[in-house]
Amino acid sequence: MHRRMTESGTTRRTILRAMGALGVAGLMAPLGVPRQAGAQGNLANLGPEEPVDVTMKRLFAGRPIKDGSSAVKIDLPLIAENGAVVPISVDVDAPMTPQSYVKAIYIVSDKNRRPLNAKFTLTPAAGQAFVGTNLRLGESTDVRAVVEMSDGTLLQAKREVKVTVGGCGG
Amino acid sequence: MAEIGRVRIRIPSSIKPGEIVRARVLVIHPMEIVQRKDGKPVDKNYQFINRVVVTYLDKEIAQFETTQSISENPFFTFAFKATEPGALRVTFLDTHGGKYEGTADIKFS
Repeated sequence: MHRRMTESGTTRRTILRAMGALGVAGLMAPLGVPRQAGAQGNLANLGPEEPVDVTMKRLFAGRPIKDGSSAVKIDLPLIAENGAVVPISVDVDAPMTPQSYVKAIYIVSDKNRRPLNAKFTLTPAAGQAFVGTNLRLGESTDVRAVVEMSDGTLLQAKREVKVTVGGCGG
Repeated sequence: MAEIGRVRIRIPSSIKPGEIVRARVLVIHPMEIVQRKDGKPVDKNYQFINRVVVTYLDKEIAQFETTQSISENPFFTFAFKATEPGALRVTFLDTHGGKYEGTADIKFS
């Protein structure tokens, strides 16, 4: 009796272990293929390291950018003690109707190695062109918000922020 | 790191129909930064969130493309027009195929 119990215990443990292994294998399988490909690295997935002029050219292909400092409000601290977390919010004073709305907001920090921080694509359902996030900044830099309207007009506003300790590690 | 991918969504406690509401979302995620060796970036599959999709009433209302120059545990605020009660869903996708989702119920009071 005692022996049988031990035996059944062992069996259960074996089964559990087998199930665990299967579960892990099952989880890994769909991820396995892209991860293999990605094992070479995905530096291409990152934005290229480039000066800000090149980024602007890549994103907007030399389209004229108007000064939008009256319509585009950037909320950013004057001095950021920690470059790893710099709160920013961008508020665009523009209607959000299906006829005319803010299509995208780009946040670009001039002196980061990869200047494009984020691109926010919006729809009229947003009701208001407002986005906020936390940026990583390598050093004191100009941060610009470029707003693309639904008719293709580009507006830009700029703010400077002083960064005491850089947040990009490398 | 155990709680990587936990999504938190904060919305105002009382919402009126037709009101423009600001939502704040946060996800626990390392947002790996580029490592350097002798000044050159190490080529590896960095894990960071590169896409955020916001849907409301099963309709996509915004999409954010993010890079590594967004802080660890990324936080976003955005506005949307609360037209009907329903679900506000925010999905975060990372470069390792991770998908993290959070929902908030929009109710009128």
